[in-house]
Amino acid sequence: MNLAIKIVFETQEATLMVWRSALGLVRRPFYIRETINQMDIVGVGSLPIAMLAAFFIGAVLALQTASTLQAFGAQNYTGRLVATSLVRELGPVLTCILLAGRIGSGIAAELGSMKVSEQIDAMRALGTDPLRKLVLPRIIALVVMSPTLTVFANVVGTIGGLVISLTLLHIPASVYNTSARDALNYHDIFGGLLKPVVFGFIIAVVGCRCGLRTQGGTVGVGRSTTQSVVMSILLILISDFFLTKLIIALGPTGQF
Amino acid sequence: MSNKNSSNAIIFENILFGFGEQIILNDVSFSVKPGETIVLMGGSGTGKSTTLKLVLGLLKPESGHLFVDGENITDFTESKMMAVRKKIGMIFQEGALFDSLNVFENVGFRLFEQGASENDVEHIVRQMLKFVNLEDAIYKMPSELSGGMRRRVGIARALVGKPKIILYDEPTAGLDPPTARTIIELAMKLRDLEGVSSIFVTHRIQDAQQLASEYVTIDEKGEIVVRKDEKAASSRTKFIMLKQGKVIFSGSGRELWESPDPYIKNFLL
Repeated sequence: MNLAIKIVFETQEATLMVWRSALGLVRRPFYIRETINQMDIVGVGSLPIAMLAAFFIGAVLALQTASTLQAFGAQNYTGRLVATSLVRELGPVLTCILLAGRIGSGIAAELGSMKVSEQIDAMRALGTDPLRKLVLPRIIALVVMSPTLTVFANVVGTIGGLVISLTLLHIPASVYNTSARDALNYHDIFGGLLKPVVFGFIIAVVGCRCGLRTQGGTVGVGRSTTQSVVMSILLILISDFFLTKLIIALGPTGQF
Repeated sequence: MSNKNSSNAIIFENILFGFGEQIILNDVSFSVKPGETIVLMGGSGTGKSTTLKLVLGLLKPESGHLFVDGENITDFTESKMMAVRKKIGMIFQEGALFDSLNVFENVGFRLFEQGASENDVEHIVRQMLKFVNLEDAIYKMPSELSGGMRRRVGIARALVGKPKIILYDEPTAGLDPPTARTIIELAMKLRDLEGVSSIFVTHRIQDAQQLASEYVTIDEKGEIVVRKDEKAASSRTKFIMLKQGKVIFSGSGRELWESPDPYIKNFLL
């Protein structure tokens, strides 16, 4: 199979998987307990690492931009730069890349092991649709928790920038905060929340698809896990470009 | 035609199945009567497990017709198959227990999915575990069980809901002889006391001999006993031998042992 056919085939299979699992939204049985459990794993489980990473990203952003801004006597705009970079771009992208590594790989490994040990077949044989019981709760959990985690990451990242501004750059908190608040508008916030929704969906779909198509024993599980992380991160970065373009086009200025 | 279909538990009619270019089952036809056990034998890669997956609708044949309990399931959608699967219990090679669930949740899986209360489930699960003699393991995790125990939990799980048809996918592979005997005795109990129809996939000749020569009954004291009686056992047991996706033998145990076919002779050595 050449690459083009492979891409079309995988897109078709992933679309069918999403469509069949989406039927579980309107038809019984509903797997509420599984969904809440997955939200706990994705959201609560990833919160500390997402916040820790965001704090240092905010701090580094403040350090890097302040030195450039200082050349123009504009270091008071540090807050503006940190906040806009985080909310528009780095918050969603880096949080979701972390999720692809932590959650996407876990999904692919778990479903992959279930596939090779015939647990997926056993589930179907026992009259339960694995797409509804396993796939849908994971999609919902990632679509809901990715933007939630991004909000936390944005806040903590901005605080990280503030700490550096206060301690190393000696910019007053009021100046940093005002500059950050003035720079952001509702459009940025909308864009910054739309992105993680799409990225969360990508992580869940890629993770589940890689897991469910696993073949070839434990080696296959390892391969699926790696593929899911690489594919999720690539798709996140590619879709980020197109989403940014869309968000800017829909924005108040509508340029580009 | 309809008469024939309703009087058989499973019918394979000229089934053809393959993965891409590779043909796994080639024009396979056979039937399983109610209460009958078909012992499906053959070397590795001859399509034995595929046959079971076709019955469950986990795979779809390329051509031919497949009837389960009187219904033509050949073109059934996944949602229609869910109803058919309620009549079938499947025992997988390694047990295929859900790792994240304990024995109780594994065995009661089907009932929990149907929304049964925990008390009702517990009652039935204990009954099933008693049948496979594993009552003490109810709250253990699959990782704490031995290979034989995992297969027995797999059997208990397949029996929940009293399916009319049971499919065994090499349930004795890799087990020590006494444990393998226990598993075969469970299969005989289901065949002789419960009247379950089944397909028993195996490549162990000892399994075939035991199924063809022994049967289970209840004695005067009301106890379950195993008796040697080839006639009684073979009236409920038929053998099918597959070779490269084709049925090369179909008949009783005696006919199988006496077959002049060199492949079969070599297999039975």
